[in-house]
Amino acid sequence: MSLPSFKLLRPRNVEDALGFLHRYEKEGVQICAGGTDLLPSMKQRLFSPAYVMDIRGIEELTHIRVVPGLGVELGSLVKLSAIEDSGFIATHYPVLREAVMTVASPILRNMGTLGGNLCLDTRCLWYNQSLQWRKSCGYCIKKDGDLCHVAPGGKVCWAVFSGDSAAALLCLHAEIEIASPKGRRRIPLADLYTNIGDDRMRLGKSEILTRIFLPEASAGYSGVYRKLRLRGSIDYPLAGVAVAIRKKGKIIDDARVAITGVNPAPRLVKDATHALIGREMNEHAAMVVGELAARVAKPLTTSLLTPEYRREMIKVFAKQSASRATPSGPSIRD
Amino acid sequence: MSDFAIIGKPVALIDSAGKTTGQGKYTDDLSMPGMLIGKILHSPLPHARIKRINPTKAVKLEGVVSVVVGTDAPNKYGILPVGHDETALAVDKVRYVGDNVACVVATSESIAEQALELIDVEYEPLPAYFDPEEAMKAESDLIHDHRPHNIEKEYHHVFGDPGAGFAQADAIVEGRYVAGEVTHAAMEPHSTLAYFELDALTGEEGRLVVQSSTQVPYYLQHKLSIVLDKPMAQIRVIKPLVGGGFGGKSEIIPLEIIAAVAARKAKAPVKITYTREEVFWAHRGRPRTIIDLKTGVKRDGSLTAVAAKVIQDGGAYCSYGVVTILYSGALLGALYDIPNIQYDGFRVLTNKPACGAMRGHGTVNVRFAFESQLDELALKIGMDPYDIRKRNLLKPPCVTVNGLRVQSYGLPECIEKVVKASDWAARRAEYKQKYNGTVRRGLGLACSHYVSGAANSIIRSDMPHSTVNIKIERDGGVVVYTGASDIGQGSDTMVAQIAAEVLGCTLGRIKVIAADTDLTPVDIGSYSSRVTFMNGNATMRAAEDAKKKIIAAAARKMQCFEADVLMRDDWVWKQGTKPPWERTTTAGIAEVSGHVDGQVLRGSLQQKRKDEGPKDFMTFEEAAVSAMDFAGAVSGTGAYAPPKDARGGGHKGGGVGPSPAYSYSAQVVDAGVDTETGEVTVHKVWAAHDCGRALNPVAVEGQVIGSVWMGLGQALQEEFVWKDGLLMNPGMLEYKSPSAVESPEVVTFIVESIDPEGPFGAKEASEGSLAAVIPAVANAIFDATGMRLRESPFTPERVLSGIRKVMGLKKINMTNDVDPTEPHTLREHGGSLWFKGKGPQRHEMDPARKPALSREQ
Repeated sequence: MSLPSFKLLRPRNVEDALGFLHRYEKEGVQICAGGTDLLPSMKQRLFSPAYVMDIRGIEELTHIRVVPGLGVELGSLVKLSAIEDSGFIATHYPVLREAVMTVASPILRNMGTLGGNLCLDTRCLWYNQSLQWRKSCGYCIKKDGDLCHVAPGGKVCWAVFSGDSAAALLCLHAEIEIASPKGRRRIPLADLYTNIGDDRMRLGKSEILTRIFLPEASAGYSGVYRKLRLRGSIDYPLAGVAVAIRKKGKIIDDARVAITGVNPAPRLVKDATHALIGREMNEHAAMVVGELAARVAKPLTTSLLTPEYRREMIKVFAKQSASRATPSGPSIRD
Repeated sequence: MSDFAIIGKPVALIDSAGKTTGQGKYTDDLSMPGMLIGKILHSPLPHARIKRINPTKAVKLEGVVSVVVGTDAPNKYGILPVGHDETALAVDKVRYVGDNVACVVATSESIAEQALELIDVEYEPLPAYFDPEEAMKAESDLIHDHRPHNIEKEYHHVFGDPGAGFAQADAIVEGRYVAGEVTHAAMEPHSTLAYFELDALTGEEGRLVVQSSTQVPYYLQHKLSIVLDKPMAQIRVIKPLVGGGFGGKSEIIPLEIIAAVAARKAKAPVKITYTREEVFWAHRGRPRTIIDLKTGVKRDGSLTAVAAKVIQDGGAYCSYGVVTILYSGALLGALYDIPNIQYDGFRVLTNKPACGAMRGHGTVNVRFAFESQLDELALKIGMDPYDIRKRNLLKPPCVTVNGLRVQSYGLPECIEKVVKASDWAARRAEYKQKYNGTVRRGLGLACSHYVSGAANSIIRSDMPHSTVNIKIERDGGVVVYTGASDIGQGSDTMVAQIAAEVLGCTLGRIKVIAADTDLTPVDIGSYSSRVTFMNGNATMRAAEDAKKKIIAAAARKMQCFEADVLMRDDWVWKQGTKPPWERTTTAGIAEVSGHVDGQVLRGSLQQKRKDEGPKDFMTFEEAAVSAMDFAGAVSGTGAYAPPKDARGGGHKGGGVGPSPAYSYSAQVVDAGVDTETGEVTVHKVWAAHDCGRALNPVAVEGQVIGSVWMGLGQALQEEFVWKDGLLMNPGMLEYKSPSAVESPEVVTFIVESIDPEGPFGAKEASEGSLAAVIPAVANAIFDATGMRLRESPFTPERVLSGIRKVMGLKKINMTNDVDPTEPHTLREHGGSLWFKGKGPQRHEMDPARKPALSREQ
């Protein structure tokens, strides 16, 4: 399969990038960071943009910077492997490192960026296929058609958000910076996502995700990320659970649980926080977390494994992760 | 000093430098001046009549040279003489989603792809069949008109008296086993480059040259001859480096024919390389199989009878199907001593890509059922899985009840090796005592076997299956011309080793010219693990033939009997004298090396040697030159055909299964099962393989480990996921070939039973170890959890669903209504292809138009 033809734009700074986005907005510009997800999708004709803007040359977005008193600022072009290799992240934000290390394979993490992983296109077995294949099923509402194969008769797209790092970042209450022609704004990461499969992000056509902030208040949480996949490497998550917990003595002082790979957006399980704060971790508490997480999960037939199993795994993973993330808690796994 | 100079030593594959540096050329690396690219248009419907194909718009696109359609080459072909049911491109009907409709030839891939969208095809949808048990009920709208009830072939075999056998049994277990569909997923996608030479006299179309990623160049030459109406002598097939076959390139794949037809129509060289998706559609992998198996044993564990009904979901064309269904029955025998066998096999056509031969051809899924059931029987009569297997060993030399001749039989030693190394009894007991959190550990044992080549070729004849020629060059170089196709398994190296060992020269002297129908004599191909046994024997005979002439000359030079001439490591010496390398002086050698001032001056050397008088040793080079002095040309030729007594019984279908020798494997799998997630982790596999003699131990070990890992893929994660004839995972992202992470340590043991007919005693090493690992994993899961899975692969949802069942937990339907512990039918993906008139125009009887499953959460 060949790539569709396009014109390549290569900005050197954010201002140039915004200028390109503005200038070619009508024709359509597709931003490309690591390209690990985009290029295969372009070959499958899921995207045939007039312009591809390769932003890898924007040097200012490639750094991990610790800002004392505030936290950590990550450029959106920070390579996933750089996060994996960062001792600071490993020490202070372990859940992020754990999640990043499960993304694809080592080679792909050398190309893939954190920003790219957050802006990852939603995925569905009926969508991530070649043009020829999609013709055979009459296309779908996400691309070229008017039919949904996972919710027959439905008008909404249920393609699944399949990034790993977002679940961890939600647990860390990360914020993001979006640059637009009007200036830069900072919003909670959770507000980036719409939970609509074919319109996944609140990111305008002339905007770019530029930075990710990890608040200092979230440093030092113990964390666990668990990912459901059939292979030990390469695969996208079929369900993912991130847990970050802080304790005072035996008592849970703060707890955050987020899930990914089962809804059109990564989701914080807010009830889990209420259920855990002020309690000790025990088997019952862990089970409650599992139940609450499974309630947020809405898996459908978007992947090889059945929705029923993936939902059950959200429950089991949340339960197991809650225990594992609480060092003195009962050892349910290992 | 060991018996051999080269045989039995670990040798790096002789083509490895080119492969590891990128210098080696695979088919897609080739290009030619004026070469065009071909792209194939595939059917979006599973079963439809083609009413009209209009390529006008596509042809008009700038850069398009021609569009090829079915009527350009309507001759039917197929790998089996009984299965000529394919055409290069669909002539009247398409039979699966992905079937070949037309081919665009253009100056670039992207132009060809654009042109595909401009071809206008009108289809008339027909009812389609996706489930073999449903397909067998069909009365009309058959997939092939000449195959009633969509049954490609059925066989009903009875050996011994199964009824009496079951009557003698103290325990009988009966069950249905279902094995999912898997494919080869070779690293190199299929690729073919075809062009015509011009006839020197007329300037018209001359000879056809095809370079292709194939395991069977001679079959390809034959089928090209049929489709293109061209004598085989006018067709040259060359096999470049091949990046893995596993059976997926062991027959003629549509692109190979299409490229040649396209080159003829476009009057230019045409290359077609499949996308990975097209590789999945071309498929020819292992079919989904339903096995209804019944086995009886006496209280002492001895088998009394086996009855198997096997239904294979074969896809839309015959391919190797008739052979597959016969192997499934025949190789119930030759592993254990089974006195009574009943076999009912059905190869069924369905509207899906054709299944064919895949590593362990026909044996793997039945072996999964049998070895699982053997453990069930052992449990029932209170016997250890190890003991029941030991109880049922063959006593070779023997001929099994279904006519298979077994001579060498290393299975007992294989079993002992893995049971001992895994500390079977103690480790099992230990795992029962302690477990870790939600993870249970268990061990599983299973055995398997495979043929060392089929004793009868596809076309039954007495002609040799392999012929090899050897040419000795003037400086002592040795060129071996073999038709054997190295597809990565190392046959070139095997040929070089055997030639060097027999001739007593070093490997560096050997040059292997392989798999080029113009240059090399016939070898019927790299499939059914026949190459080491058959081409190896032919090589041995060719080398002995050449050696005879060298020895005659050496004997004359050394003035001794021919029987007293020894050759080894590039030296030739007289029996009873010290080998040259043990001598303190080898003076006189350098002067007769055949080189004077960098030139071969044959005449003067000849003169010089005449003056030297008798000697008692010489170099290989000198001996070779002497042979030319005395005999003129020095060459050798050798052929191999399996002996008549190895060719099997006379019953219908009895030609498939017999082999001159069988390989044996026994394996123990150590697996952990997470009872909350259903995830299975294989920690270690002990695998022993009887390969007769390991000609190259490192290559044997590689093949055994590769077989185990490939088998683990089928056991745990690989399967074709289907929805109404649509393959949901036609790519390496969603088809879950194992990564390095899940591929555990494999402790290999090579067992050498020294076969009386194999070259240096060698048998097959590349397939026999695949089948055992699947039931070994199933048995380990049972050992760990008490849950018997009868549907493969053992994906976490299946495992968890089974565990919840045995634990008595609330049922969650996580396996699309098919209970993996008691599978009644084949599973489909849960989505919905067609909804209320939207979606593709499927026939109103098409299963896709049944109401969608409600999945309200």
